[in-house]
Order: sequence, then C-alpha cells, then structure tokens
Amino acid sequence: MKSATAKIGLVVWLTLVISAGILFPMVAAPQKWYELPIIPGLEEKARIIFFHVPMAWTTVVAFIASTIYGIRFLMTKNLDYDLRSVSAAGLGTMFCILATVTGSIWAKFNWGSFWNWDPRETSIFVLLLIYGAYFALRSAVDVEEKRATLSAVYSIIAGVTVPFFIFVMPRIMTGLHPGSKGDPQGAGPVVQFKMAPNMLLVFLSSLLGFTLLYFWMFNLKVRASRLEFHSQQPQE
Amino acid sequence: MLDFLAEHQLYIVMIIVLMIWAGFLVYLFRLDGRISKLEQSVKK
Amino acid sequence: MKDFSAPAIHIFFKDSHSELRTRYAMNALLMFVVTALALVLFSVGNEVVGTDVLSGILWVIIFFSGMSGLSRTFVSEEERGTVVTLQLLSRPTSVLLGKLLFNFVLILSLNVLIAVLYLLMVSRFVILTPSIFWVTIFLGSCSLASSSTIIAAIIAKANTKGTLYPVLSFPIMLPLLLTVMNATRLSTEGAAFSEAFGEFQILVSYTVVVITVSILLFSFVWKD
Repeated sequence: MKSATAKIGLVVWLTLVISAGILFPMVAAPQKWYELPIIPGLEEKARIIFFHVPMAWTTVVAFIASTIYGIRFLMTKNLDYDLRSVSAAGLGTMFCILATVTGSIWAKFNWGSFWNWDPRETSIFVLLLIYGAYFALRSAVDVEEKRATLSAVYSIIAGVTVPFFIFVMPRIMTGLHPGSKGDPQGAGPVVQFKMAPNMLLVFLSSLLGFTLLYFWMFNLKVRASRLEFHSQQPQE
Repeated sequence: MLDFLAEHQLYIVMIIVLMIWAGFLVYLFRLDGRISKLEQSVKK
Repeated sequence: MKDFSAPAIHIFFKDSHSELRTRYAMNALLMFVVTALALVLFSVGNEVVGTDVLSGILWVIIFFSGMSGLSRTFVSEEERGTVVTLQLLSRPTSVLLGKLLFNFVLILSLNVLIAVLYLLMVSRFVILTPSIFWVTIFLGSCSLASSSTIIAAIIAKANTKGTLYPVLSFPIMLPLLLTVMNATRLSTEGAAFSEAFGEFQILVSYTVVVITVSILLFSFVWKD
C-alpha cells in the first residue's frame, strides 16, 4: 500500500464492487452476464452478502493478524510488533461491531428477530467478547513491556480456543445462515453453497477489496501510533 | 417503518451499506483527531 | 519429564498445605456454592423446569464458583510477595504444572461436591446415564483447570485482579462450557455412553491444546 496508484486502484475497485452489488438486477431467469438469480426466501436481501460477509471475514483476518503479531512480539520483544497487534485488534473490533450490527438488522427481516443465537452469531459474539477482554486486560496493566506480553499471551490462548467452536457448534444447534447445514433450502455446508458464477465473482471481489481496505486502514493506524509512541519516548 | 422495509428490501441493503460507511467515517474522524494531536505535540 | 514433575509435586504440596492452613479458597468456594444453589432453588420454586435448563444451571454454578476461587493460586503468591522466591527456586514449567495440579484437585472436589448437592436438592434433575455424567464432571474439571490456571497467571500481573478474571475466562471457556452442558443434557436424556463420545473428544483435545500452549507461553508471563 505504498504507491498512490495502488490506493486509487483500490478505491475504484471498491466503488465498482459496491455499485455492482447494488445495481445488478435480480431476475428469475438470468440471461445476461450482469443479471443475478433470485434466491427464494432472500430476494433483494441476498445482496447483503456483498457487504456483511466481508466485514465478518475482515474481523477474522484482523484477529489472526493480531495473534501473529503477538507471537512475533514474544519472540523478538520488539514493542513495534505490539503496536501492530493492538492496531489490528482495534480495527478488528470495529469490523466486528459492523458485522454484528449489519447482520442483526438483516436477521430482523429474515429470521424475525434481531438476535437468534445462530452458530455464526454466537461465534462473532465471542470474538467481540475476546476483543473486549483483550482491551480490558491492556487497560489493567501499566508497564508497557508487561502489558504487551500479557495481551500477546491472551490473544494466543484465545486464538487456539476459538477454533473449537467449529466442532462444538454443530452439536448444539443447527444453523440459520444461508448455506449452513440447517438451511431449509438444503444448500449443504458452506463450502458447497451454490452461488451463481457472476454473484460469486462480485462476492469474491468484495472480499478482496475490503481486505485490502483493511490493510490500508491498518497501515495508517500503525503509522499514527508509531509516531505517537516515538514522540512520547524522549520526554519520559 | 418495519412494514415499509419488509416490502422494499433494497432499503435494508441500503441501511446496511450506510452503517458500514458510518463505521468507516468514525474511524476516519478518530484517526484525524489522533493526527491533529500529534501535530500539536510536534509543534511544541 | 522427571526434572519437571518432582518440583511440580512439591509446589502442589506446598499450595495444599498453605490452603489447608488458611482454608481461604475452600471456605469462600463452599459459601459461594451454597449461596448459588440456594438462589437457584428459590428462583425455581415449584416451577417445572426442563432438564436441559437444569443441566445449564449446574454448569453456570460451577463456572462462577470456579471464578471466585481459582485465581487464588497465583494471586496469593503475588500478594504474599513469594513470587521472587518461587522464580529463583524452580523452573517456570514446574511452577505451572504444580499450580495446574492444585487447581485441578480443587476444582474436581468442588465439582463433585456441587454435583452431589445439586442431585440431592434439585429433585427434577435425574441422571439416566451416570457414566456420561461423571465422566463429564471429570473431563470438565480437567479442561476448566487447564484454562483457568493460565488465565490466573495472566491476571495475577494485572491491576484489577478480581473483576478481570471472569471477563478474560468466559470467551476462552465458552466452547468448553457449551460442550459440557450438552454432555450433561445427554446424560439426563438417557443417551448411550457412545453418543457422548464426540463431546469427550472435544474436552480432551481442548485440555491438551490449552495445556500445551500454557507450557509454551507460561515463562513469558511468569518472568518479569
């Protein structure tokens, strides 16, 4: 994300993706390349996949990034990695809130209530709790080195326990999300989710665009906190 | 309000996109505030 | 392995001795369990409550009583100022294993006590497959001890120790809590032992993963 062309390219890319996500008409029998199929029970609401899913995806990317920077901090004891870890976690919290709020508005119209404790809703809720705990822990430690170490350790422990939800959840309840096992349309597990090729293309472009946007935001945040960090150092 | 939205589903998508946009704006403003603070501390 | 196990057992006995002398954690835990059980009994009253809700409540009581006592292991070292001595005398891994063993014994006896009291006092809570129930209690204690020990080590270094403990533990323990609740529900429904096998697998792998990561990370937390 160094050159201006890359940034402008990303902005143009995302603009096109967002426009496509909203403008492409939904018809019963798609003929032209831009016509999306109507999914029964979802109709126009299906367009949320272009906006809500990238938020949830970016939350996971941020979570993994934060854990990896935590590991690197523990290995090198370089506070710069801690700075990156916090920045990733802070942005992850923002995307997590966005994913939760947008999903819950959509759920109101699709499933009838704002919150249903569907497996994925539960998982994103746990991620939100982990981010909350992470920042609560950070605010409770004064010494920089210690704060960085403890929060890195916590994020690694959280990182190894969260994947257990993948095994635990299907035993407890069936999913409501389109494409999950309990979906009445019988689409099967998410990997087999049948999506029209053009819809899939817009979806993947959106995932890519928002992920790159995340890295741009992350880069800005790290640079700002690095400046803050160095401007505070000499006075102490 | 809810009935209207249930009938015009594209508006739901619209609300969702606006929320994401709002989230990004909040981020921008906070970054802006941080950088202004930095500028002041550099001037001192 | 022998280098670690002998000092670990020493630390376990040291903690047990000091615990038996003051009975700080034991008394607090016991009172907490009795209070929580009484509250549940009052609020349930004569209501007809399903067994799945009751098996959930059992683990809610276990979680919160664990939260009130398990952090003591490390916090008490910090408060008494004995951390430095322990750091000098033994290796981090033996400290962790000793504390882990102590927490495990503490929570296992606590859980058995809670389970027995709960079975006696909540008449509607009938276990049809005792083997599933007791194996769940045992494995649940293993996994609760594993995650609570490393989190106790983290919060012992933080400023607000008491309030932070449940906040940090809950998201880590949620997959395990959901699993044990599900296994307990199975035992009240009279499921065959093999049906709960998947739950046990999750609990065992959770314990193994958390203990492995704890051993790898503990020295970072322990050394100042």
